[in-house]
Amino acid sequence: MVAIRTDGLTKRFGDVVAVNDLDLTIEKGEVFGFLGPNGAGKSTTINLLLDFIRPTAGSVEVLGQDAQTNPELIRERVGVLPEGYGFDDPLTGREYLSWAIRTKRADDDADELLEMVGLADDGDRLAGDYSKGMQQRLAFAIALVDDPDLLILDEPSTGLDPNGIQQLRDVVRERADQGTTVFFSSHILSEVEAVSDRVGVMNEGELVAVDSIEGLRESAGGHATLQLDCASTPAGLGVDALDGVAATSVDERTLVVDCTDSAAKVDVVTHVAERATVEDIRSKTVSLEALFNDLTGGGRDDARPVEEVRQ
Amino acid sequence: MSLRDITHKDFTAARRSRALWAVATLLGLLTALIAFGYSGYRTGPEETVIQLFRTMGGMFGLLLPIVALVASYMAIAGERESGGVKFLLGLPNSRRDVFLGKLASRLGIVTAGLVFIFATATAMAVARNGALPVGVVAGMFAVSLLYTSVFVAIAVALSATVAERSRAIAAAVGSYFVLVLLYVIPGVNVALLARFVHQTLLGFEPNFDLYNAVLFTSPLIAYRKAMNLVVPSGLEREVLQRPAEGYTPPGYLGDEMSLLVFAVWLAVPLAIGYWRFEGADL
Repeated sequence: MVAIRTDGLTKRFGDVVAVNDLDLTIEKGEVFGFLGPNGAGKSTTINLLLDFIRPTAGSVEVLGQDAQTNPELIRERVGVLPEGYGFDDPLTGREYLSWAIRTKRADDDADELLEMVGLADDGDRLAGDYSKGMQQRLAFAIALVDDPDLLILDEPSTGLDPNGIQQLRDVVRERADQGTTVFFSSHILSEVEAVSDRVGVMNEGELVAVDSIEGLRESAGGHATLQLDCASTPAGLGVDALDGVAATSVDERTLVVDCTDSAAKVDVVTHVAERATVEDIRSKTVSLEALFNDLTGGGRDDARPVEEVRQ
Repeated sequence: MSLRDITHKDFTAARRSRALWAVATLLGLLTALIAFGYSGYRTGPEETVIQLFRTMGGMFGLLLPIVALVASYMAIAGERESGGVKFLLGLPNSRRDVFLGKLASRLGIVTAGLVFIFATATAMAVARNGALPVGVVAGMFAVSLLYTSVFVAIAVALSATVAERSRAIAAAVGSYFVLVLLYVIPGVNVALLARFVHQTLLGFEPNFDLYNAVLFTSPLIAYRKAMNLVVPSGLEREVLQRPAEGYTPPGYLGDEMSLLVFAVWLAVPLAIGYWRFEGADL
């Protein structure tokens, strides 16, 4: 069963293409992490799923309903933590939550939900006076009302303290174990890594990768570079013949070995050490984070150098 | 049925708005003061009260649009600017629910305010004159409510088409200028403008029916005409321009037409506002 399906989804704002030809399918029961730097098109995609904005081209289907034809039917079964929300009415946290419960014709206990997100003692305060993190907790509580079939969370950890992030993760995991589909966006890799079954990486409006965490890690682990500084020019050592070595090159007294498999590095070091005097070893491992940077071109900023580990 | 939840939430918020209470109190005091100070010239008590309400009607013509616009200009634009609309539409509400719910709550708010204003004025007038012409007061209330509703509809509709406070303010002020002030400022008013275009620029013979018809498109002129419908005969006032002694406006510029003018000003802005909101990227 499919929870979310987008087909050739495109959204332009004037000249800017925010989302470009997005084909995405999310199965029911999945926890899907939607990853990408700021401005990659994550929120635009989510706003399209919820019919807050209208696509330039393509279609969106959520829980079997077309997002534009039947947004109310979708909203009845979805819990939403939006981005860029505001609590500007002079209502207390509990009143906001009660309003959400009434609107959803649900029978949740507002106090129970407040307790779940760590706002048990703040229900009678005006939501507009809450700190950013507390507002985020309240917005999360609103998303949880009526135990929705699908949770759509846009940057849910924004403004939360570490404790709050942990609580959020626990609740998401708990709901996912009960069969709730979770679609959440983030620009923080570790967060997505911690809870997702599958990850989609957005960059500049395009989906550049969709895979499980293991799958991503595998493709990330595929490349490792070893640099061995030797006492003399390391030529003719036969390193090329070793398993898992893709290429070698020599730069003065430094031997650079490109491995397709991290496990090959030990073999390379042993092999060279037996034949030459090795003075220093540097290893560049491509981590998940590096892969993320690679996929997204370093995001907003210049590409960060690949993580360097001295061994 | 989530429309009711939206209205309910908006009401609760409005009830806690100090600014709204302050405005209502101020207007109540103002009308009470006028009702207290008003005295007719050689008229009986009942006629005095009727004339008092007519005089207040003249003031209401300029004041009620301001009340309606201030109470409604942020109805939807405010939710869009603050992001409240993300909760409204994240829950099982349609855009129609949001639009109609906001319209209903703002209509409710100005109705409550108008009831308060009329109650203070009536109480004061009865205390001073010992007479209560129920029909006229009720009629004046009905006409005033209709007039105020027109501006609530316009303000909510404008509010639905803009996403920022600054634009909502500009739209509200602009509509007050175009629909009210432009019809009452001597020298720049719409009837003179119509005459200038028709007669001076285009070179036609003067046609005062046409200029009066243009004048009649204003909700303010319609309100003044509609008051003629509720006062006893003999107390009507001619609102349109009289170019010469003995000029009588044609039947289609009669007082009853004011109801049609109101209906158009209610329906058209709401339809356009809703249509724009329905298609907007929020």
